Amino acid sequence: MNLGTATGRNKGIEPGAERAGRKNGRKFIYLSLAPVLLLFGVFAFLPIGWSLGLSVFKYNPLSGSALFVGADNYIRMLGDSVFLKSLWVTFKFVIIAVMVNIIITLMIAVAIQRIRTGWLRSLMRTLFFLPTIAPLAGTAIVWSTMFNFNHGLFNILLDKMHMAPIQWLSDPHYALYSVIMMTLWADIGYNIVLFIAGLDSIPDMYYEAAILDGASRWHIFKDITLPLLRRSMLFISVTTVVSYFQAFAQFQIMTKGEPFNETRVLALHIYEQAFSNSNMGYASAMATVFLLIILVVTLLQLKWGRTEWEY
Amino acid sequence: MNAYKKVISDYEALHPDVSIDYQTFPYDVYNQKLKASFSAKSPPDIAEMFGTWVPEYSKNGLLAEIPGSEQLQTEYYEAPLGGYTLNGKLYGLPLEFNIENGGMLIHPQMLKEHGIANPPSTWDELVADAKQLTVRDGKGIKVKGFDFVSGDNITFTFLSMILQQNGKYWGENDHVDFQTPEAQKAMTALTSLIANDKVADLTTFGGELDTSDYFFQGRSAMTYRGPWTVAAGLNTYKVKDFEYVPVPSFTTNPPSFSAESGWGIVASEKSKQQKAAVDFITYMSSNDNLLAWNQSTFTVPAKKAVAENPEFLKSNPYMKTSLDILQLGKWIGPIADRDFFFKTINDHFQLMATGQEAVEKGLQNIEKTINESQDQHK
Repeated sequence: MNLGTATGRNKGIEPGAERAGRKNGRKFIYLSLAPVLLLFGVFAFLPIGWSLGLSVFKYNPLSGSALFVGADNYIRMLGDSVFLKSLWVTFKFVIIAVMVNIIITLMIAVAIQRIRTGWLRSLMRTLFFLPTIAPLAGTAIVWSTMFNFNHGLFNILLDKMHMAPIQWLSDPHYALYSVIMMTLWADIGYNIVLFIAGLDSIPDMYYEAAILDGASRWHIFKDITLPLLRRSMLFISVTTVVSYFQAFAQFQIMTKGEPFNETRVLALHIYEQAFSNSNMGYASAMATVFLLIILVVTLLQLKWGRTEWEY
Repeated sequence: MNAYKKVISDYEALHPDVSIDYQTFPYDVYNQKLKASFSAKSPPDIAEMFGTWVPEYSKNGLLAEIPGSEQLQTEYYEAPLGGYTLNGKLYGLPLEFNIENGGMLIHPQMLKEHGIANPPSTWDELVADAKQLTVRDGKGIKVKGFDFVSGDNITFTFLSMILQQNGKYWGENDHVDFQTPEAQKAMTALTSLIANDKVADLTTFGGELDTSDYFFQGRSAMTYRGPWTVAAGLNTYKVKDFEYVPVPSFTTNPPSFSAESGWGIVASEKSKQQKAAVDFITYMSSNDNLLAWNQSTFTVPAKKAVAENPEFLKSNPYMKTSLDILQLGKWIGPIADRDFFFKTINDHFQLMATGQEAVEKGLQNIEKTINESQDQHK
């Protein structure tokens, strides 16, 4: 490897010029990084720091002063049944939605990849990606009308099948699953495209060798496709988990956390505590805990999903 | 909106040096918009506020005091003024009496068809009539006999039933007290309407339509709701064969009821035009202007002189039921978080009505949860 340019050890260059070059190089690096660091600093790290600070105060934005309460906001969480319920609902939503998402998107991606006609393959990819383009808020409103008890599409279909109508969004047994259905419909396009890209990158020679050895389709999928998709799977699962942890719009529009807090995910609970109830300090403490939870889950995923091979 | 525009243009005509920039926002975002503007120290000079929101602003010194508190307090009913009052002083004036209790929508034809000549005059009659009026099919209740299952009416009815037994629901230190025999009796009777009498169910609770919408669609015979729903029936549903009649008291006592302070106007303490803002509020609260405003917005007057003006009843005859009981209204009390308060009672009501929680335990849980919330806002 030639490090000549980077280290400035080319013969014939004066030490002074070398120092100046190195200095200029550093300047260029700092200058290039400055905008993005500034952006992250102002819009990511500063709010996180501010929120951390706020979490040890009792603060109502309408009041002129903030009262220092130490760890009280964090202790309060342990006895707050609504917070604990929303934590449980969040995990339930993330686990079910991510698992179903990955299974469905992988199956669809494999099916699309098997299509040999180019235009049909592109058409299918586009069709599945289309819902992703629509704004989530609009999609949530449309699905709310489809879930309507009296005139919604789903109950009309149940009626045609002579089945009793369901309170899709107000029955505690169905509400969360109804939102999961809508979320999956709106969101699977991304992961299908990512899985297709992952499948395309697996060299054909492995499949050819397996076919020559007489492997069945299931064995090919289990022993070649799945292991070689591990890197894509890790990326998809990490981004989907983080994204579903932060799910908010569909819950705010479709259920507002009801019924009985069965759809009160943590992001919605934090928002309501902060902006409806003006408990900024408590909301910040919850946001801090939420940040740590997502961080730990992501680190665990990265650890368990690490791969140490190349092809 | 037109009612505001009219009074603003009249005021501007009388005060050529004053110009009022009138802005409106959707209800869903309005509360947060207000909070953001006051927090950012750029509040509007004058704002319309719901009475229950006002204490959060007045106790933080954000609203201008309205002069003449003592005199004004004799001119208005108690319930609409409660939220605007802090330490005996007024921080805004209500435009309406937010009454959700005391009256109900009925379909006289449905009553006749079931051999019921007149609306019920006692609570027992109400329950008996409701049972008779309830129509069922294979899927459940088709027409509810007596629908009270709305986000507002469960709580208001429960609190009013306590008051009608001469009971109280506020304890010390702004804490609620639901361990009284009156609260037990009220909640038992209310949940019984669902669990035992089966005159209503929970299927439409939390949906996008109001109980009054179901009433005007013919899906309930009697529906407990405020008089504001009459306008929707007349204008949206074009229904005319209904009446708005008194709901009998739970006891032999008068039908006292609990009410929030409704919509009113406040002036910002930080306003550079505070004097003009307060002057506008005083102008808008004159008897003539309030009469015109209440008539055109189909709202119940908060001011006694307006409510007692025969002109008002003449223009809104459906209001008679509500006007007759305004003096029985009690302010709901120092609720710190209105939505949380109502939601807590509604959530546990559903659990109790479906037998998932005993009434005694449910009331204990409601009290504990609400009092924790009250403490958090001190």
